[in-house]
Amino acid sequence: MVPSTLPESMRGAHMRYTRSMTHATLLSDLIDLTTALKTDNATDLEQRKQRDRAIGKTLQAQRKHPARQLRGWLERVEIRGWQRRGQAGVQLYHVLGVVLAVAGLSAGWGLAGALLHYTGATPINVFHALGVLVLAQIALLVLWALSMLPVTLPWFAGLRSALGFLHPGRLARWIAGRFPQRGGSALEVVWHGDNLMVTAPAARWLLSFWSQLFSFWFNLGVLAAVFYLIAFSDLAFAWSTTLKLSDADFHGLLRVLSWPWHNLVPAAVPSRELVEASRYYRLDAGPLGGGAKLSGAQLGGWWPFLVAAVVCYGLVPRLLTLLISWQRTRHHLARALPRLPGAPELLARLNSPLVTTAAGGAQERAAVRPVAPEEAGPRSALAPVPCTIVGWSDTLDHRAALGGGLQALGIQPRDWLSAGGGRSTQQDRETVAALCQHAAEGVAVVTKAWEPPLLEFLDFLQALRAQCTRHQPILVLLWGAGDGVSRAQSDTWRQTLRQLKDPDLHLEVLGAAR
Amino acid sequence: MTRPVFAVVGHPNKGKSSIVATLAGDESVAISALPGTTAAAREYPMVVDGETLYVLIDTPGFQRAREALEWMQAQSGSSVDRPDIVRRFVEQHRQDERFAAECRLLAPLLEGAGILYVVDGSRPFGDEYEAEMEILRWTGQPSLALINMIGSGDYRGEWQKALGQFFRIVRVFNAMNADFDKRVQLLLAFGQLREDWRPALERAVQALQAEQALRRSLAARLIAECLAAMIVHRRRQAVPDTAPGEPLREQLRAAYRRDLVSMENDCRRQVEQVYHYRHLQRQEALVEVLDADLFAAQTWRLFGLTRQQLVATGGLGGAAAGGVVDVAVGGHSLLLGTGIGALIGGISAWATADRVADIKLLGRPLGGQELSVGPMRNINFPYVVLGRALWHQRMVEDRTHASRAPLEIAAVPGALQVAGLQQRKSLEKIFAALRKQAALEPALLDRLSASIEGLMQAGDTAPP
Repeated sequence: MVPSTLPESMRGAHMRYTRSMTHATLLSDLIDLTTALKTDNATDLEQRKQRDRAIGKTLQAQRKHPARQLRGWLERVEIRGWQRRGQAGVQLYHVLGVVLAVAGLSAGWGLAGALLHYTGATPINVFHALGVLVLAQIALLVLWALSMLPVTLPWFAGLRSALGFLHPGRLARWIAGRFPQRGGSALEVVWHGDNLMVTAPAARWLLSFWSQLFSFWFNLGVLAAVFYLIAFSDLAFAWSTTLKLSDADFHGLLRVLSWPWHNLVPAAVPSRELVEASRYYRLDAGPLGGGAKLSGAQLGGWWPFLVAAVVCYGLVPRLLTLLISWQRTRHHLARALPRLPGAPELLARLNSPLVTTAAGGAQERAAVRPVAPEEAGPRSALAPVPCTIVGWSDTLDHRAALGGGLQALGIQPRDWLSAGGGRSTQQDRETVAALCQHAAEGVAVVTKAWEPPLLEFLDFLQALRAQCTRHQPILVLLWGAGDGVSRAQSDTWRQTLRQLKDPDLHLEVLGAAR
Repeated sequence: MTRPVFAVVGHPNKGKSSIVATLAGDESVAISALPGTTAAAREYPMVVDGETLYVLIDTPGFQRAREALEWMQAQSGSSVDRPDIVRRFVEQHRQDERFAAECRLLAPLLEGAGILYVVDGSRPFGDEYEAEMEILRWTGQPSLALINMIGSGDYRGEWQKALGQFFRIVRVFNAMNADFDKRVQLLLAFGQLREDWRPALERAVQALQAEQALRRSLAARLIAECLAAMIVHRRRQAVPDTAPGEPLREQLRAAYRRDLVSMENDCRRQVEQVYHYRHLQRQEALVEVLDADLFAAQTWRLFGLTRQQLVATGGLGGAAAGGVVDVAVGGHSLLLGTGIGALIGGISAWATADRVADIKLLGRPLGGQELSVGPMRNINFPYVVLGRALWHQRMVEDRTHASRAPLEIAAVPGALQVAGLQQRKSLEKIFAALRKQAALEPALLDRLSASIEGLMQAGDTAPP
């Protein structure tokens, strides 16, 4: 049941996707799916996931039939820039079928016409007719069977490859390649390009299908010619051989050949009398020599046998191979569909619950202007200055470790005070007041480099600047404990302090930088 | 059932956004060394087919925790009133820019979100954290502390002692290199915060595990498709009569190499997409193709047939025509027609082939000389490509979405060594069939895909 929330076009599409899976529809699907998946790569993955899962939910009844699901998807999906070329390919496929049928029909008619050519001077030798119309066909069927054997046998794989170029179906493939604009390029997805890995068996059976189509119509052409010649001319058949083949042996051979239809059409089994009477030797006078016991009309009595032989060993097997090839092509096309590059991912999107963990929409970010390190102030005034040292957030617990760094920077500690950390804001205010009273030339605030510059730290600096009447330089000293201070840490601090726009606010790294 | 909601809170720059990016699998989460990058709370719901199973909220870090706590402490009230005091703080300071960060991070907690408090365990504990932990305790919400190991230092011990005083559950979690199992364990740990959150979280874990298995399967399929395509790839080029041979061969070999590199890159990109990486930068040495492996064969073709095949076809055609003549004369020719026909057909095909090949139909010549390179015959090639692909897949699978560095894929030392004899045999059979190109079928791809998935499951493809 299609949810009513679906657009009208999609509901119509749902009705269509239940149509049967024939050659033509599968071929069309294969072409469309190949192009759709390629075009769809340009669509954002998240959009694809949501779109495909929504479609997939309407196709859950077909979950066990991936090819049907894919068809359903093809009929529902809309992809920007995607052109459906399946129908064009199928049209060419039908045209090629007609071309091969006409070619087969003509070839059959022509060959039968040549074989049954009878001027009245010499009767038609049944051996020749049997040889070409029956034995050659059986031989070709055996070759076909060999060429279509399972590919897992390595010896047969080579043979198949050698026999492959004898397929009349190659003609169709070649013609398709000549008409790229009329569906040829679409049809080529079956045997060319990226899909070959999955479409190779379908391509092989499609070639076989075309060949069997040609052969089936060839046999129809033969029969049509035979019936035409029988209806509108007189034919006389006889047989002749140099071998020591007795009439009885030949009759026995014919009975074996006629076994498939002897019950069905007894009249199409040559009688012993016919066999005996239609043997001839060219040294004897006349077409059938002195031994002829039958009239010309009776010699024409071989035709039911000939027709039955063509039907039994030509037409019917070819019909069977045609149906087998049709079915195998259909099977392999259906098998190839869910294995096309990109199709397993599509099926996963159709059938797996859509799991999203990401946030929707763009993230709101703080409006911090990125600053290149070289332009990022403030910087240290490196002249030696006597300073009051403020330890921010228990940094003075490590006073001994700080001494060397301060000395290296030329800072002469006058007094040591604390702020931040576990102290209250009231205590911070008292520290600010104390700093304003100090006579030292500058204030150096030691802070942990690995901690970010919080707004409460900036509050402290601003309070210091606002409350002290004397404008003294403030030096922020980054302390990295045993690890030193990284460039990223100092850049972060520099960028943040820059927001205060205080020309007498400086930053320096205490101890070794990393 | 109450929907589990977790607010990830803490000091700025301690990896809150990294943890959210890792758990949400979202590479778009802004992660920066600059404090205050996360300006507003942002929700990351885990939705399975439209049903939200849990929500993670990334929040700004505390900026003025001491002042906020002092305001709250100044309000008279007992322990029972503390959540209300926090609520009052948020209500009264909602418009106050000074406490914007505090209000934004506390708001989801007041609506019932669980607390995921994040600290950096690679740096020592400091007194400045106590105020924010105290505020979080005042909210009365279920809470869990995560010690995120950002750097190389290890202060887990002192952090565990400090956090243990404020939080019932303390876990160590490295957002940058937590593998899938660790992420799942963490999600399950969230369930310990409230009993009624557990079922939804267990379902979320099941969905994630199913998705992870599917991703691996899809990645295996993509690698199989790429590998097969690279092995069977062939590049052909028509050779004009006037063109010099060797430069053309070199051009063709170079184009073939480019094709292989492009195929491998496409595969990498697709595997990354399967794991939700769309903008991942990669640094990797190009796949090596030795010139000795690339034999540029020159063949002549007409109607897609080689000269030998054409002669055979001509011979057969001639034989058939001659046979008709034999039949027409009633066998008196003693199959001479067939023999002569075969001979004439074969010779004619040989002699006229070049002239026919030059004929243009619809602007295209019917045949001519053709150069071709491929398929790749080197028996080590598939193992080298597969080794590289598996290595890449493992790196992508193990990578977290918090990581922003380019994916550096070190040169794979030689070809992939497959441990299992059966697996090796199976792979070699598939590669041999692909090299021969005589037995291309989807089942081959299915088998290759299954073998690759087996190698992934075995887990012996990890980078050193």
